[in-house]
Amino acid sequence: MFADNRTVPDQGRSEPPGTPDAGRPIDPDWAWAPYKPDTQRPWDLRRAGHLFRRAAFGADWGQLQQALADGPQRTVDRLLRPDADVEAFHRTYDEYEASTAGSDSADGLRAWWLRRMMQTPHPLLEKMTLFWHDHFAISNARVKNALLMHKHVQSLRSHALGRFAPLLQSVSRDPAVLLGLEAAANRKAQPNEQPARTIVEVYSLGPGHATEEDLRSAARAFTGWFVLRGQLRYIEREHDTGTKRFLGEEGDFDADAVVRILLGQPAVSRLLVRKLYRWLICETEESDDALLAPLVESFRKDYDVATLVETMLRSNLFFSPAAYRQRIKSPVEFALGIVRGLEGMVSTTQLGQDLAALGENLYHPPTVRGWRGGQYWINRATLIGRSNLAGALLSGSEPYGDKLDPAAIAKKHGFPDPEPAGRFLLDLFLQGDVEADVGDRLLRDVAAAGGDLSRRLRRLAGTIVTLPEFHLA
Amino acid sequence: MFTTRRDFLKTSLGTSALCSLGPAVPAFLSRSALAAAPRQDDGHTILVVVQMAGGNDGLNTVVPYEDDEYARRRPTLRWAAKEVHKIDSLLGFHPRMQAFMRLYQEGHLSIVQGVGYPNPNGDHAAAMRDWQTARPHQPDCQTGWLGRAIDHACHPGEANTPGVFVGQIAQPFGLNTEKAVVPSIKNLEQCMLTPEFDSAGPAQRTRTGDDNPLLDFLRLSARTAHADSRRIEAAANAPTAEYPPLPLAQSLKTVAQLIRAELGIRIFHTELGGNGPGGFDNHANQRGNHGALLSQLSESVAAFVDDLKRDKLLDRVLLITFSEFGRTVAENGRHGTGHGSAAPVFLAGGRLKGRLIGAHPALTELENGGQKFHTDFRRVYATVLDRWLGMDSSAILGEKFDTLDVLEA
Repeated sequence: MFADNRTVPDQGRSEPPGTPDAGRPIDPDWAWAPYKPDTQRPWDLRRAGHLFRRAAFGADWGQLQQALADGPQRTVDRLLRPDADVEAFHRTYDEYEASTAGSDSADGLRAWWLRRMMQTPHPLLEKMTLFWHDHFAISNARVKNALLMHKHVQSLRSHALGRFAPLLQSVSRDPAVLLGLEAAANRKAQPNEQPARTIVEVYSLGPGHATEEDLRSAARAFTGWFVLRGQLRYIEREHDTGTKRFLGEEGDFDADAVVRILLGQPAVSRLLVRKLYRWLICETEESDDALLAPLVESFRKDYDVATLVETMLRSNLFFSPAAYRQRIKSPVEFALGIVRGLEGMVSTTQLGQDLAALGENLYHPPTVRGWRGGQYWINRATLIGRSNLAGALLSGSEPYGDKLDPAAIAKKHGFPDPEPAGRFLLDLFLQGDVEADVGDRLLRDVAAAGGDLSRRLRRLAGTIVTLPEFHLA
Repeated sequence: MFTTRRDFLKTSLGTSALCSLGPAVPAFLSRSALAAAPRQDDGHTILVVVQMAGGNDGLNTVVPYEDDEYARRRPTLRWAAKEVHKIDSLLGFHPRMQAFMRLYQEGHLSIVQGVGYPNPNGDHAAAMRDWQTARPHQPDCQTGWLGRAIDHACHPGEANTPGVFVGQIAQPFGLNTEKAVVPSIKNLEQCMLTPEFDSAGPAQRTRTGDDNPLLDFLRLSARTAHADSRRIEAAANAPTAEYPPLPLAQSLKTVAQLIRAELGIRIFHTELGGNGPGGFDNHANQRGNHGALLSQLSESVAAFVDDLKRDKLLDRVLLITFSEFGRTVAENGRHGTGHGSAAPVFLAGGRLKGRLIGAHPALTELENGGQKFHTDFRRVYATVLDRWLGMDSSAILGEKFDTLDVLEA
């Protein structure tokens, strides 16, 4: 098994045709054309693993094997449109979440969301919901209302692979968003500029596209909207009906009009395509405008997120070295990669806390700009924390218990003996992306060691998932 | 190479892991890798911030025992001349702060009096947020002042940790950053790699220069993390001075151990009084609780100062305290006090200049029923940023504040 999939052990060494040379700009036509496997760029375990790291939260062995059998087309099809009853799944989880809604803490919601990520038949939807939670970064530290946070993320999920226009409209009318931006009261006499600035500069256009006057006008347009006892209210006499000038237009604009004018700006498409490029493809290099231009142009026409995501996931660029292992896993991706790989379920109440300590506290993004992520996820303390979290998940003892059992999973897939089981774990977690001498040493060690095999494989799995390579998405 | 798994695990715990790779790694590489292990800029200055939540009664902390107005307004809560630890002919420390009295006499404690800000907030959360962000009356401010200092000092390619929280509560907003992840440390064990699952040994490979810069970055970071873990382990096993069995003392003991480990951490944040209601918020029968908290503060800080002094580290450390507001000058009929305004800030360390800084604010001209401030708290922040940490205070605070002349050059 290992030998078959080991054809490209050292990624990036033999570069496929059409891939960009270092320093030469990438041809956009080549980049966004669908990837078709060939002998130079075979559809192999590595590319399948890559797809599941980006479009999901990692894969288990069955999913990887299924993907190898199906090829990239059908695998992407299934990630986009799974043939399970996704709606029934979400209905059940929405009910679970609603049960926590009386609280002002979102820790219960956090646990349910992690569980949803682990169990969902449609992981890409959760990945994109997380993307929007990072984009519209509303924190319960300010909202302090689990019911509103539940509805907020539920709304993000319902639009996550839909269209951006209704998403932005819904966000601008969301009581959680107004509370999260400290804009519970938008009085005519005191228009609130900060939320207007966030909606314009963070949610839609990016910085530098609107003047101070534009921002003042947007703030005036939002007057009249209040959040009273957790309910959105419009108080007509508090709305400023005067003429406003906003991004070159003039009129008695209200909040809807501001959103409509924003959606007409070309900067929106550019901001979102660039952000999604960082999310799905590569965060190491600033994307260049020429490369993204075709996507920006077509996304602008209908703001269809699913089409944009689909183009990216099918593309040559996505399966090229320019994307491969060019992202650092967030704490959630790190932990779920382990859990999903081992086909288990662990306490997500505990996991939510542990991930918060590593910097990713779901429902509590640090600022309105979301998580900075990338290399900022990693410092000496968080690396030690990640290692210890992996150790706790795999130890077989409290607080996570024995829900993850590498030996049992290896055996289930036909690898009961130490060395093949070790190879299996290397393939499962790293798809061969490990320096040959390190891999060999780990395998020799697991084969030579005596004692309980289950224990030995726990230790080996713990070592594998704390190798530098495993932190790369 | 590794005869048994046991050997492998054992060596993967030590710096010896690299050397024990033996022929696989050329000797010069092992040496340079060891040399590259983090030797932080030894000798850098360190700030320790102690948050005291609830609003400390500054008037019964540094007591104007000779002031008639004090006696008149505090009929049941006042401390008499014979009870306080006399600083001078007018002021004395609370009776349970004998340890602060000693530090003061040794020159290791300064008192900045009358610290506050214009139009102070009387609400706990709002006032605390003002002190934490250093942007009073901007409730939507996204970051804390220490968080901004950490973001300034954080260089992602180095994976450094310029600041940490040490304590048992949720991380205070003062540390909220836009970029860096700030660790919350409850105990030293969590800062060390679990031996059984430590892959830092194999990760500690010398091969860098991979065509993937992120992988290089992770390999180097894993190496420094592993070295940090070992330094912390050594510090945890080294003998320390005696600390009293009080929560703040235990937090400061952890801080001292992390300072000894030389990890390059410049900002430590810890706290006394928890978050939420409680702590210093004494609206009724305050005497016992306030005395216990002040005793905890002074005993803990004194133990910390003594510990650092013994190891000649005190000259590198400055500790400051803050609380969101002081209390009303008048007691309230329930042997407690209401939310006031200005209060003293304490500085402790080895390189302090003045001892008593600024006048004790008069008890006759009040604001919100409390004492009026004369020193903006952001001047204290600017002082520690500019003159102690060597950071640009105007970049971090958003404007320029005059610093205080409280530190030795």
